[in-house]
Amino acid sequence: MLEKNSKAASVSFEGVTKVYGNAATGVRAVDNVSLNIEAGTLVTLLGPSGCGKTTTLRMIAGLEMPTGGVVRIGDRDVTKLPATDRDVSMVFQSYALFPHMSVLENVSYGLKFSGFNKVETKERAVAGLDLVGLSGYGDRLPSELSGGQQQRVAVARALVLEPQVLLFDEPLSNLDAKLRRQVREEIREIQQNLGLTVVYVTHDQEEALAVSDRIIVMNNAVIAQDGEPRELYDAPINRFVADFIGEANILDCEVASIKKDTAHVELKDYKFTLPARDSEVGKSFLGVRPNRVIVGKAGINNALPGEILRVTYVGNHLELTIKTDAGELFSTTDDVDADFSAGTIVSVTFAKGGPVLLKQ
Amino acid sequence: MKLNKQTLSAHPTLVLWLIVGWAGFFLLPWYGVEESVFTFGWLFEGYPFDDDVAPAPFHALTGKKFWLLPLIPFLIGPLFALKHPKSDPIHSKILIICGALGFGWLIAQGFSIGIRGWNFQWMESLFGPLGDRQFGMGTGAMLTASAFLFILTQGIAARGAVNGDIFVVGAIGFVVTIVAAFVFYPIINMLTSAFVTQENTYSVSVFFEKFTDRRLWGLACLEGGRCGAAWNSLVLAILVGFITTALGLAFALVVTRTGFRQKQALRALTVLPIITPPFVIGLAIILLFGLSGNVTRFVADIFGVAPTRWVYGMPGILIAQVLAFTPIAFLVLIGVVEGVSPSMEEAAQTLRADKWQTFKTVSLPLMRPGLANAFLLGFIESMADFGNPLVLGGNFDVLSTEIFFAIVGAQYDQGRAAVLALVLLGFTLAAFWAQRFWLGKKSYTTMTGKGDSGVHPHLPKALAVPVFAIAGIWTLFTVTIYTMIVYGSFVELWGVRNALTFKHYITAFSMKFTEEGVRWTGSAWDSFWTTLQIAAISAPLTAAVGLVTAYLLTRQKFAGKNAFEFGTMLSFAIPGTVIGVSYILAFNVPPIEITGTGVILVVSFIFRNMPVGVRAGIASMSQLDKSLDESSLTLGANSWQTFLRVILPLLKPAILAALVYSFVRAMTAISAVIFLVSAEYNMATSYIIGRVENNDYGLAIAYSTSLIVVMLLVVALLQFLVGRTNIGRRLNQSRTNV
Amino acid sequence: MKRLNKTLLAAAAMMAASTSLASAAKLTFYCSAQEDWCQSMARGFEEATGIDVNMTRKSSGETFAQIKAESSNPKGDVWWGGTGDPHLQAAEEDLTEPYVSKMRGELNDWAISQASSAADKTIGIYSGALGYGYNADLLKANNLPEPKCWKDLTKPEYKGHVQMANPNSSGTAYTTLATMVQLFGEDGGFDFMKSLHKNINQYTKSGSAPIKAAGRGENTIGIVFMHDAVKQAVSGFPIKVVAPCEGTGYEIGSMSIIKGARNLDEAKQFYDWALSAKAQTRALEVKAYQVPSNKGAETSPSAPDLSLIKLIDYDFKKYGSSAERKRLLKKWDDEVSVLPQ
Repeated sequence: MLEKNSKAASVSFEGVTKVYGNAATGVRAVDNVSLNIEAGTLVTLLGPSGCGKTTTLRMIAGLEMPTGGVVRIGDRDVTKLPATDRDVSMVFQSYALFPHMSVLENVSYGLKFSGFNKVETKERAVAGLDLVGLSGYGDRLPSELSGGQQQRVAVARALVLEPQVLLFDEPLSNLDAKLRRQVREEIREIQQNLGLTVVYVTHDQEEALAVSDRIIVMNNAVIAQDGEPRELYDAPINRFVADFIGEANILDCEVASIKKDTAHVELKDYKFTLPARDSEVGKSFLGVRPNRVIVGKAGINNALPGEILRVTYVGNHLELTIKTDAGELFSTTDDVDADFSAGTIVSVTFAKGGPVLLKQ
Repeated sequence: MKLNKQTLSAHPTLVLWLIVGWAGFFLLPWYGVEESVFTFGWLFEGYPFDDDVAPAPFHALTGKKFWLLPLIPFLIGPLFALKHPKSDPIHSKILIICGALGFGWLIAQGFSIGIRGWNFQWMESLFGPLGDRQFGMGTGAMLTASAFLFILTQGIAARGAVNGDIFVVGAIGFVVTIVAAFVFYPIINMLTSAFVTQENTYSVSVFFEKFTDRRLWGLACLEGGRCGAAWNSLVLAILVGFITTALGLAFALVVTRTGFRQKQALRALTVLPIITPPFVIGLAIILLFGLSGNVTRFVADIFGVAPTRWVYGMPGILIAQVLAFTPIAFLVLIGVVEGVSPSMEEAAQTLRADKWQTFKTVSLPLMRPGLANAFLLGFIESMADFGNPLVLGGNFDVLSTEIFFAIVGAQYDQGRAAVLALVLLGFTLAAFWAQRFWLGKKSYTTMTGKGDSGVHPHLPKALAVPVFAIAGIWTLFTVTIYTMIVYGSFVELWGVRNALTFKHYITAFSMKFTEEGVRWTGSAWDSFWTTLQIAAISAPLTAAVGLVTAYLLTRQKFAGKNAFEFGTMLSFAIPGTVIGVSYILAFNVPPIEITGTGVILVVSFIFRNMPVGVRAGIASMSQLDKSLDESSLTLGANSWQTFLRVILPLLKPAILAALVYSFVRAMTAISAVIFLVSAEYNMATSYIIGRVENNDYGLAIAYSTSLIVVMLLVVALLQFLVGRTNIGRRLNQSRTNV
Repeated sequence: MKRLNKTLLAAAAMMAASTSLASAAKLTFYCSAQEDWCQSMARGFEEATGIDVNMTRKSSGETFAQIKAESSNPKGDVWWGGTGDPHLQAAEEDLTEPYVSKMRGELNDWAISQASSAADKTIGIYSGALGYGYNADLLKANNLPEPKCWKDLTKPEYKGHVQMANPNSSGTAYTTLATMVQLFGEDGGFDFMKSLHKNINQYTKSGSAPIKAAGRGENTIGIVFMHDAVKQAVSGFPIKVVAPCEGTGYEIGSMSIIKGARNLDEAKQFYDWALSAKAQTRALEVKAYQVPSNKGAETSPSAPDLSLIKLIDYDFKKYGSSAERKRLLKKWDDEVSVLPQ
């Protein structure tokens, strides 16, 4: 049986750049990225398509070579090492099961090149199939399995090698919604049980929040933010992250003054203090999650006056669109019985710890 | 230098090539030996001291060939690289320096010093007379050169090029080197020989004198005289291109868009001309339409007109070439015609276009790339065709035969042959370019990859009737021709004594069973075995080189890929005659001296037929998801293992296509072969041409008929060998790569 | 990669011809006659002497060029066959070795005179006279009279019935041109070529093609060396051979020993053997109907008897020189080939 992986290693990037085409004029897919992934953790690379997350993953795999910078796996500099020579395996979006080999042959494939003898190879491959709940399917061809089963074969094939790092490239995107939830939980479970280092690429923020120890959000070839799921959701560093992870109201505001780490913020007539987070005095942006927007009766002091434009009932909560001097706000409230209707004049305040100052 | 086992095993490929290089340099005969190296006869001929068989160090130390000495440090240098890991910059630096300088020096000395000492005047005046000379490189030199090449590519790979992949960088280096050596070098060499005067100096005026020759560009035919060969070739090739394309389209339409039932029979019929040796169709046409041909006599008897020699010249060549090349157009067009998505045509019909309008406005324009390709193929084949003009040409000179007679005829004017070959090359490259230009950047892709239901609409009546008529006439004609061919092989002396006989088959293929075994006494056996042997060697090599190249083009990213693609496809646009001429000019002298050997035939076939292997490989490889190779790589297989275990098994159809094509072409090619055969390595086609020249039509036709049968058998055998495994599995393949 | 290399090596190994290990005596034989004749000579010599023969067949022009290129390190030993011009030129350029064979007594005079004009560096081995042949059936079908002389061929009734090779590409046709110039004088010769031009239906590339076409019934009259016409007649085609009444030119096929030959003794042995009646009789087996230089060699009854043919005193030296050749060909190109037919 597969046991806790003692080989799991960390991954680090130091100023890694990848340019396609001419170094000066070509497309920068990854631009001067530095990151550090600790051994035994599951880290997600999240971002919109074209942000450089897949290129980053492929550079860990050795399928792409960086134009500049250093890649390390464990203590070893692998920058120029091809995929074959790295102790890394990868699960592909398309699964990439070899159609001319049986399931068992697929799972044994990598073992053949790792110096195991025939008996060991077979034992390990069978154990791998066991782990993903596919014992007994070894003689089938990939084409005779369902999508979810194929996905598990791909996972088993990568797992049995006990790699230093296991990579997932959008592994769930070809599955339907229900299966997706199930498989991602299985992946997380296996990762934690075996103590694997996993790097996981997805563009689905919910999936990222659900499985990760840490999330690295990428945008336009650079890292936008790197942190734990909750940190990213509650304290996005800039407009992009706030907008990409969950929904957020982004408002123009004025930082009146900063004392120590506290900023005095003015949103029209509404004044409050927030953690400064390196912002400077002057114009700034404010991000507020819809559930942190509190809609109260009109006439409250130190609040933003507004008028309800739309009320939508969506079952377990209400969605409100409110017009204020600072712009339109989107708010949700669990109080589905509250007496809101279009045209009501209200005062809007923010829950404590709700709004955050954002960089552009 | 101490090297423990571990450092050796850390660089297995490097160690292998170092050993190869040392063996080549220190052990094997450096220069070409008369007989093959593998007979080891050279071991008994004064090895290692005799100049003919000595390895390089003996030449350098005992003789005066001191210029071989500088190679030694480059062979020893890589040992120092073994001590450093691959990621160490010193490792790659050492390998690159040793590989590049070693290879460069080897090539430079090979080209500078030939059988008469210095090859270049300026070297002689710079360094003084040499006092020694050298012949063509042998096994030793070739192995050493390959070792340097692969040491260099390993150095480049170690620097991180193409993901640091030794196999891929090596394969690129290998393909680039052989394409440079066997495509570009001969062509460039030929280019320069067009400027050589009789006194062996270079002159532009010589070129222009030959280029502006009246026999090349004359337009006297407009006034009743004879036109130049260039115009003749051009007009003929354009006509053949158009007619074969039109006929090919007609056949493709009959097969796909009518209720025609005998599709298999029609396909079989179209394959016949492809496996027919040259001349045969030309001979059959003479036997039918010549001055004493059956049809001519028949017509003359009935209508009382005097028989004429109308078939000699343009009309005869045109008929023969159209017969021979229409199947090629058909094979190109059938794919394209089938490929036009039925839903496009159905969409047009729902938009109120009638059948004819649909065909004209949607189907036909979407077939444009296929039409252009078919035209180009017909054009090039006609330009390069040698057999038909030779027997049917009359006074209608074309470039390919002019080139031949400039070399082998009484003129013995290589310069003129080179100039003519350049004109020919110019035409085909221009056609290539024109095709690209015509297709432009429009997209003609209609296959979406998604399930495409629907059926092709039938042809409008106005089109179906003439298409059927044309196809019917052509079929009848082809059947007649082939009946004549088979019949002709059993007739004693055509037109003179028409008794049936096996005599020609007996002359060609008789054998005696003696106590020592079978004695092949027939006159054709020699060339028959040689041809089989050469075809059997060159077919797998062609397929291998073609598929490796296709793999590099579809699967790898590297600098200069476009130039690489152009280089590998170039030989497709070069007519065989030009290849033949350029090969004898380039490889008759050191450093690569292979004329008169079987090697030159194999090499010429590889590079003549490689583009088809590349195309077939690209077509099927682009249908394999790239993540298949990548997952294999991340699972620890290297590129070579991936290529072998994942890509190749999924490429069976492409492999079969490349094998069959190159085998058949090697059996039937004549245009390049005619220049390259020798007494020892005579090919079937050149033997047949000899029989034709000797007026021995019966034997020529009997031999050709036998070759057709042999090729059919071999194609069936290949299909059995390659296609047997995995067929059941491949059917399911598409579902896995969603 | 490794596997690929293995495949390459294996392929190369397959090509290795059967072994013939260390042999004592060998001979490198350059042959410029037709292929089967060359083969017959090589095998015949091997059988007669046991010496291994390594034969290369190339046209006489090519062989000349090769010998010249290899002159500093000759690889060939003996050069047999092909028209006399390049042999004479090789003698002139000192590429060949003088040798007086003991067989000379058995030879025809014209063979010896070839040798004496080149300081014994070459010798005649066979000879063939120019002439023409016609297809008797076709002649009859077209109600044409039998031609007897060169001048007959220029008569208008033969329009479209005569074929000859293009002198630019064929040595035979050049010999025809040079013969006419010697027979009728330069102006007369060209006048003849011009009026012949009107009757020509095709200038073929190769020298013997006209008579082959005639044999197959694709042409009526072909101007060729007579032995080529005889060959067609013997093969069963309805060909009649004509020795023109005005007289005609001829070629002398020659043989030379290459200077600096590595196997000089074997080369001399071959030389003597090739002049013997027995060796020259081999020509019949391959249907080569040239006249052998050995008086004792058998000739085919159908071969033309040179003693009955009026031969001109062909000036090989003058008309074999490349300057004269170029001049005549250019003149033919400019004055004859451009005329309408």
